[in-house]
Amino acid sequence: MPLESTAESPFLTPFSNSSSENLAILYLSRDLQVPVQLKEASQTLSRTETNSATNSDADRDIVVNTRFGSFPHSTLVDLPWGSQVLASKVDTGSWAKKPNGKKRKRDESQKGEPSEHDRDSEELSSRREQGQRQAKPVIAADSGFAHLVPPTPEIWTRALKHRTQVVYTPDYSYILQRLRVRPGTCLIEAGAGSGSFTHAAARAVFNVAHVRKKKKYGKVYSFEFHEPRAGLLEQDIVGHGLQSIVQLTHRDVYKDGFCVDDASIEGAPRADAIFLDLPAPWLALKHLIRGGTTEGSYSSPLNPRTTTRICTFSPCIEQAQRTITTLRSLGWVEIEMVEIMHKRLEVRRERVGLQEEGLRGVNPSPANVSEAFERLKEIEGRQRAFHENQPEEQKAKQAMANSLGMISKAERLKNIRDAEAKRKLYKEGRLVHRTEPELKTHTSYLVFAVLSRQWTADDEKLCREKWPLGDA
Amino acid sequence: MHSSIQPHSYVVLRLPSSTLKIVQVVPNTIVSIGKFGSFPANLLLGRPYHLTFDILEKNESNPQTDLRIVSAAELHAEAILDEGDSPSESRDELSADTADGVEYDVQDDGSVTLRSNQNTIDDPNRQSLSLEDIEELKKLSTGRDIIELLMKSHSGLDEKTAFSLAKYAVRKRGKYLKRFTVLPLDVSLLLEWVLTEKEAPRIMELREELLGLVLCWSNVHHMMPLSNAYCPDDVSASGRWLVIDETSGLIVAALAEKIGVLYEEEEDEEDEERELPDSSRSYPQLNGMPVKVHQSDAISTEEKCSDTQSNGVPSDSAANRSSTLQPQMPVNRPPKHSVRAQSATSNSITLLHAATQPNISLLKYFGYDDSNANEKHHLFMHLKTLSWLQLLSPEADSTYQEPEVVPDNILQTWRGGKKSSYFRKRRRWERVKDVIDDTRRGDFDGLVIASVMEPAEILRHLLPLLKGGAPVVVFSPNVEPLVKLTDLFSKARRTAFMTNPPDDSDMPTEDFPIDPTLMLNTMLQTSRARSWQVLPGRTHPLMMARGGAEGYIFTGTRVLKGEGAARARGRFSKKRKIERGEEIEDDS
Ligand SMILES: C[S@@+](CC[C@H](N)C(=O)[O-])C[C@H]1O[C@@H](n2cnc3c(N)ncnc32)[C@H](O)[C@@H]1O
Repeated sequence: MPLESTAESPFLTPFSNSSSENLAILYLSRDLQVPVQLKEASQTLSRTETNSATNSDADRDIVVNTRFGSFPHSTLVDLPWGSQVLASKVDTGSWAKKPNGKKRKRDESQKGEPSEHDRDSEELSSRREQGQRQAKPVIAADSGFAHLVPPTPEIWTRALKHRTQVVYTPDYSYILQRLRVRPGTCLIEAGAGSGSFTHAAARAVFNVAHVRKKKKYGKVYSFEFHEPRAGLLEQDIVGHGLQSIVQLTHRDVYKDGFCVDDASIEGAPRADAIFLDLPAPWLALKHLIRGGTTEGSYSSPLNPRTTTRICTFSPCIEQAQRTITTLRSLGWVEIEMVEIMHKRLEVRRERVGLQEEGLRGVNPSPANVSEAFERLKEIEGRQRAFHENQPEEQKAKQAMANSLGMISKAERLKNIRDAEAKRKLYKEGRLVHRTEPELKTHTSYLVFAVLSRQWTADDEKLCREKWPLGDA
Repeated sequence: MHSSIQPHSYVVLRLPSSTLKIVQVVPNTIVSIGKFGSFPANLLLGRPYHLTFDILEKNESNPQTDLRIVSAAELHAEAILDEGDSPSESRDELSADTADGVEYDVQDDGSVTLRSNQNTIDDPNRQSLSLEDIEELKKLSTGRDIIELLMKSHSGLDEKTAFSLAKYAVRKRGKYLKRFTVLPLDVSLLLEWVLTEKEAPRIMELREELLGLVLCWSNVHHMMPLSNAYCPDDVSASGRWLVIDETSGLIVAALAEKIGVLYEEEEDEEDEERELPDSSRSYPQLNGMPVKVHQSDAISTEEKCSDTQSNGVPSDSAANRSSTLQPQMPVNRPPKHSVRAQSATSNSITLLHAATQPNISLLKYFGYDDSNANEKHHLFMHLKTLSWLQLLSPEADSTYQEPEVVPDNILQTWRGGKKSSYFRKRRRWERVKDVIDDTRRGDFDGLVIASVMEPAEILRHLLPLLKGGAPVVVFSPNVEPLVKLTDLFSKARRTAFMTNPPDDSDMPTEDFPIDPTLMLNTMLQTSRARSWQVLPGRTHPLMMARGGAEGYIFTGTRVLKGEGAARARGRFSKKRKIERGEEIEDDS
């Protein structure tokens, strides 16, 4: 069963359709991407069909409600990824009246349905009858649609319910690159927290050796000492079909280190890479040393045959300094510290000019010298006409304006608004870019180091026999 | 990737000046690193990476040039001295840590928990050493030796001065050292080498932090082809990436690294004790569940697989596909050819190039040379290349034209040379045709572009070749092309397009150079890693960094139009199954 699920992890496998029991992402807008653990009512349909109890819960559809409309799971299952889905008309009223509604909801969570979308629904909309089921045929709503896309670690990182601070894509992409995490790498991660880094790491280490029992197969050994958090993450891991790639251990790593039992690999974890996102990484470092050669008793969690690479992630400089001091004293080399400064850019069209007067989100001042000049000339002319015609006063003013081809301000604004509807605004104005409104100026200090494998006099001797020096 | 240095492999040497040098380690030759000296290559072979060596010149006691491993403690001598020097905090920290139960493995040189004298006046004269001193120091090997020497000869000095002298000596010594560190040549290091030692424009000034982003947003990873749960016999191709790479092959190498087809699998002594990969092409058991592994995906075994084919006709599905399109091969078999180039159906990289030949010159550092390809290299099967001409108008490309088929009876009369050239031509045509047809079939899992060409036009041709949900990543050294591209997918433009869609036959129009509804979640970003110096009491960001192109990344997700855009479906009843069946027919 576990491996079968791995095969179906939508994070890793090539299936081109969404499927029941698997995670899918309902993409509504850039800032609203809802993870949905799909559950098809029909799965139990065959059983309930025979009963006359058509009202039983199992054959009811779960509905995802968003401010862009409602999406019953039945409309989301078995679609090619990237499909557009129309919102459906959902009868919320009849459900709400059901007296046993609460109970049903509880049953559902007991079935172990991971709670991502429950959590996220809170950000979704005022209507949050998440997990409501409806028994009526689905009817397309007049408006509202979403796209169904496969989950990726990048989407997950932004969509997951934050139980802790998480490591975002700009940092983890760099960390995975610097740690040389590749298919087949064994990686230690602590603490696992909300599992953001975990997902990206699982994708990076995954390889077919998993099923082929080759020596080098990739795995993430994850540690978290906060029990409820560990429990929630385990649910995610299983729900996402990653349980044969990610092995999560509930443990205090300062105290108990990183060695684990793993049926598929002796002396696990045999780590090639380590990522520590802990308040005091230096307290964990003493467990990340090479096994003794002669003493022999200490079993190291590190792969004895490869260079070990480490990254620690600490928001404060004092933490980083302390980590580095400890790394030095424990024989790590190539110690480097960096900060990642990432910016998202917005691209927009800046509309400036008199034709924008009274419109929103624009700058109605003259776009250039000619516009300014023409406008000044016009005002000048109007004023002169006004002064020259003092005697006729206001009464003649309108006539005068008309005769000069001038119109009232209200009229002018109306004309501008009418014209706007016909303009191709998407290609007008000046194309500019700028940084997003809120800039993350600091995430953490990333400390990197490597620990080369042990190289004994005996190893050297063997090597010299194999590669003799000759007379050169 | 191997964890020890292999004969004939390329490695990177980092010299004291922190310059990088790529050398090939050829057995029984001398490696020369300019003024830093030279040494026999055999002293590196078989050794692990990340060791730092001092070159010990030939002299009376040393009959041969030798290398000495420099310990970590020695490497850190200066910093550790600083640690001891800097007032109180660091030492307090150490003791605090010990209270926390940390047992430090402090090396010999770490014995510098000496007290500093804060009242000492820093006088540069007191730290200077005579020439003889320096000569003496050059001969010494460890930081501890230096301290000892200093303490001996200046026994009257207070500790602070001794420290300063020691630090000075260590720093000074660095200048005289014939020292280097051996690093594995992988994609990140190659990138650093090109950026710092070669012309950065060769790789479009792509920095590591941007490469990291490209690799994550493209979602590139190893993929396992699986038999479809509904239809176990249908093993679908998976993990096919479409790439335009004008970074001399760096992007291709990076993708290959992430997919797991760049390096050789390591064979080491331990293999014997551990379970060996099964060499058969059978159906590996997956916890009791048979999983059909596609030929080209069992990376380590595929070469063996192909070897076992008794006839020259490859049996993977790509070939089967094309065999329906081409006449059956004559009974007279072409010479046995063990591996078919560019034939992988999964975990493959398809490189689209603008010139007649792709420029992937950097791949040579990973043992892959396009003009003289090594059949053993994964990329031999997993890297497919084709030109824009071949993609857009295959008929216009002469290599796509089928060479004449010669009947067996005539073939039998041909001389060996003529015959083999005939088969070579046929093989080349088959390969080219397969790659072109396979690419035009589309269904790619992702698209990565690093090109100086106009991105919108590239996307207009390539977006339709992507699966729904597939990621698109475009790297550009400058922001302007990507600003323009992002604008083509603006909300306003998309809305205008949907309200009043132009006729398909009119596309591309001036207003819509590309259909804006083909992609969503477009995003533009940039990133920069800022390096710090972290030394006790001297922690600050580095004062200088590389300027030039800032580097930007555009990302988006391909979505389906019409055909996949599902209507809300009523499937409350048993009718559901039937409805779905109908839909599948509709869609195809
Ligand atoms: C900032 S969070 C990690 C976030 C995670 N990297 C992510 O991307 O989602 C730090 C986690 O470390 C855990 N932690 C702290 N000390 C620990 C220890 N000694 N052993 C194991 N976990 C620990 C905390 O419970 C917390 O969940």
